[in-house]
Amino acid sequence: MSFLAFFLIVISLLTFVAAQLILKRAMEFSAANGMRKSYFMSRVVIGVVLMTVSFFLTLGLLQRFDLSYLYPFQGLSVIFITILAAVVLKEKLSARLTIGALLITAGIVLVSMS
Amino acid sequence: MQNVPTGFGNPWLQLGLSVACVFVSELLLKRGAMDVAEPESGFSWTGLNGLGSPLVWWAILLIIASFISWLYVLRYIPLNLAYPLSRVVDILVPLGCWIFLAERISALRWCGIALVVIGLALVAKPIAKMEERL
Repeated sequence: MSFLAFFLIVISLLTFVAAQLILKRAMEFSAANGMRKSYFMSRVVIGVVLMTVSFFLTLGLLQRFDLSYLYPFQGLSVIFITILAAVVLKEKLSARLTIGALLITAGIVLVSMS
Repeated sequence: MQNVPTGFGNPWLQLGLSVACVFVSELLLKRGAMDVAEPESGFSWTGLNGLGSPLVWWAILLIIASFISWLYVLRYIPLNLAYPLSRVVDILVPLGCWIFLAERISALRWCGIALVVIGLALVAKPIAKMEERL
């Protein structure tokens, strides 16, 4: 796999995770403050744009690689969330989470070599 | 979980439908992408040429349907239960690639897929809890 392909896989997953978290924030905000505030609308627009970017990057990658090759990389999104939680929430990583993240990483390395 | 609707509104049925929609949409996206694939063109990295395939549009509809039923599921089933269950799709997609897309999956790739699936199963609950707080 070329560096470009790996870079695009990472970008498509990062934009997907970011979009999910931004949309979740927007929904929580709307539950408390209603839907008409510009804060809510701007978050929804950013979330949808990021989702769209992620979707089309995936569509570009699917033209070049097997789905069985690309799909396991979605495990990376779990790694991103774990890192984000450790940084933002100052969350200590449990043994279960650490082992799971290591297994996913090892699995992705094997798939990328296949 | 009180007053759980029955019939089509049953949240467990909707969870199953949501997973099925994600599964089928992944396979349709792959088929659609292959129908219009132009690997030599730099522009095709953007994926925009994928819109030329009707299968991609069907996949988009299914993604929207899965999203709607997922939001419905979360009204009745807590995320840290629904999310781990929904990850069954991680097993279905590689099997679908093998059975429906006839992709040749080497032993090495199967091992990698298995490790990812086991890892995802381990972290599903803690990740769902983290996502709720992020």
